[in-house]
Amino acid sequence: MPFAFFISMAYQIEVTHLSKHYQVHEKEPGLMGSLRSFVARKYRAVKAVDDVSFNIGQGEMVGFLGPNGAGKTTTLKVLAGLLYPTSGKATVLGFTPNKRENAYLKQFTLVMGQKQQLMWDLPAQETFLVNQAIYEIPRAQYDATIKELDDLLELGPIMKKQVRKLSLGERMKCELAAALLHRPRVLFLDEPTIGLDVTMQARIREFIAEYNRRYGATVMLTSHYMADVTALCDRIIVIDKGRLFYDGNFRALIERVAPYKIIKLQLAQPTTAEALAQFGQVESCNGLTAVLHVPRATATESAARLLSQVKVEDVTFEEPPVEDIIREVFAGIGKDEARGAR
Amino acid sequence: MRYIKLIGLFLKANILVELEYRANFIAHSLVSLGWVSITIIGTTVFFTQTDTIGGWTFYETLVISGLFTLMGGLIQMLLQPNIQKIIEMVRVGTMDFVLTKPVNSQFMASMRYAQLFSLVDVIAGGVIIAFALGRIGFSPDGLTLLLFAVMLLMAVVIVYSIWMVMATCSFWFVKVGNLTELFNSVYDTGRFPVSTYQGVLRIVLTLVIPIAFITTFPAQAILGKLEPGMFVGALVMGAVMFAFSAWFWRYAIGRYSSASS
Repeated sequence: MPFAFFISMAYQIEVTHLSKHYQVHEKEPGLMGSLRSFVARKYRAVKAVDDVSFNIGQGEMVGFLGPNGAGKTTTLKVLAGLLYPTSGKATVLGFTPNKRENAYLKQFTLVMGQKQQLMWDLPAQETFLVNQAIYEIPRAQYDATIKELDDLLELGPIMKKQVRKLSLGERMKCELAAALLHRPRVLFLDEPTIGLDVTMQARIREFIAEYNRRYGATVMLTSHYMADVTALCDRIIVIDKGRLFYDGNFRALIERVAPYKIIKLQLAQPTTAEALAQFGQVESCNGLTAVLHVPRATATESAARLLSQVKVEDVTFEEPPVEDIIREVFAGIGKDEARGAR
Repeated sequence: MRYIKLIGLFLKANILVELEYRANFIAHSLVSLGWVSITIIGTTVFFTQTDTIGGWTFYETLVISGLFTLMGGLIQMLLQPNIQKIIEMVRVGTMDFVLTKPVNSQFMASMRYAQLFSLVDVIAGGVIIAFALGRIGFSPDGLTLLLFAVMLLMAVVIVYSIWMVMATCSFWFVKVGNLTELFNSVYDTGRFPVSTYQGVLRIVLTLVIPIAFITTFPAQAILGKLEPGMFVGALVMGAVMFAFSAWFWRYAIGRYSSASS
C-alpha cells in the first residue's frame, strides 16, 4: 500500500470496496438464436467492477490500465456519477458522485476519446459558448481561459472552423478545451489520445501534464497507449476482469514483472546461442546479431563479462517494452491471484 | 437567467446550422405547402357530403385543421429533432456529456435542437386559423385570446410531455423510432374535432392519449365555445403530464447504464 502514509491527508478520490454488476442478455448465434432471444432473453450478471478500493490525493496523475472490458470505463463512470455502484462506496471531493449535485458537477470533467460533445456542424467555439453559459463562467475568466488554452493547444484557427472539417487531432484539442473551460479540479480522461498519430499524442500528453502542473488538478487517465501512461503517471492502477490487480509505482511494477534488461548485440564473428547462454537468457541469435535478457541486478556485471569474452561490434541496452510488461502482467494475473496478491 | 441565455445560444446555433442548408429550406417549404393543401382538401371533401361533422361547421373544422397544422409544425420544429437526438445520444453514449453538466438534464436534452424551417408549417397553420375565423366573421375579444393562448400553451406542454415520455423509453429499449411513428398515426386523429369520434375512442383520445387537448379544445377556446371544465381539465392534464414526464426522466436516469465503450 504505497500511499498509506498519506492516510491522514484528505483524499480527493476515495473508492472503497466498489462493485458494479450488470445484467446483460446473451444472444445465441444465428437467426434462431436471435429469435429465441427476442422472445425469452437469458440474462447473465457481469461483474464489471468487483470489490475495488483505492485512494487518490490532490494533484496526482494516475494511469488506469487494463485490457478491454477490464472495468476501467465503468469505474470512471461511477466516479463521474453516471452509474450507481452495486455495492461499496465512491467519494470524489467529498461528494457522492451519483447524487450529481451541481456543486460537484462543476468541479470535474469527463473526456472520452471515442465520444464527442462538440456540435458537429458548427465551429467549436459555439460549443465553448454553450459550456460557458452552463458553467456560469464570468466573461473575463472565460476570455483568459480561452487565451491560455490557445497558447497551449494552438486553438486559434481551428476553433473557428466547423468541427466536421477538423482532423481527428484538431477535434481532440477542441474537445479538451471544451471540457476544461470551467477549470475543473478533477479530470477523468478515458482514452484521450485514441486514434491520434504519435506527434499529436505527444502534444495532448504535454498539454495534460501542463494543466496538471498549473492547476494542481487530479487526473485519472485510461489509455491503450503505454506511452501516455509512462509519460504522465508515476502511479498506475491495473485492473483486470473487474478486480484490482496492482496499485502503486510504475517503476516498481516493472521491476517486479520484468526484472531484466535487454542487451542487443552486433557481433564481429558468428556465434552460437549456446556460447552466449552463460551471460543471460538468449532470446534470439542468428549468427551476427543476438538479443539477450539479463537479470536487472547483475546486468552491468554480465555485460562487462560478455564484452571481455566476446568480440562485439556494437551493443545497446534497453528497458523491456512496456507493452510486453503489461502483457506479462496480465498473463501472470491467474498465478498471482492464487497467491492473493493485490 | 442562465436557462434563457442557453436557449438563446441554442437558437443561434440552430440558425447557423440551417443557413448552411438552403436547398433543404426550399424543399421543406414545398413539402409543407403540399401537406397543408392535402389537409384543406381532405376537410373540404368531407363537407361536400355533409354540413357538419360532430356538430362543427366547415369553417369551424378548418380552425381545427389550422391548429393541427400549427401543432404539427411545432412538433416537427421543437420536439422531433430533440427526441431523435436523445435516442441517438443514448445509443451512442454521448448522453454522458449531458448528464455530467451542472444543468437540468431534461432541459439540456430536450431544448437543444430545433428544425427552424418547420416554422413554415406553424405560420401556415396560423394563416388557416385566421382565414377560417374571418370567414365565420368572428373577431375574438381579449379574454378569448387569453384563454386561447393558455389552451395553446397547455397543448404544447401536453404534446411535449408525451414526446418526452416516448424519448425516455429509449433508455431501456434504445430504439424507439416505432413509438414516435405510432404517435404520429394517433396524432392524425387530431385533424377532426374529437366529437367526430364515438364511444371508447373519444374517451381514449381525451384522457389516455389526449389529442383532444391538442387541437379540439384550443379551437373551442378561439371560437368562444370553451367550457370551464375543459379549461380546468387542460390545466390539470398539462400539469400532471409534465410532472410525469419529469419524474419519468429522472427515474430513467437513475436506471441509466450508459452504452459501454
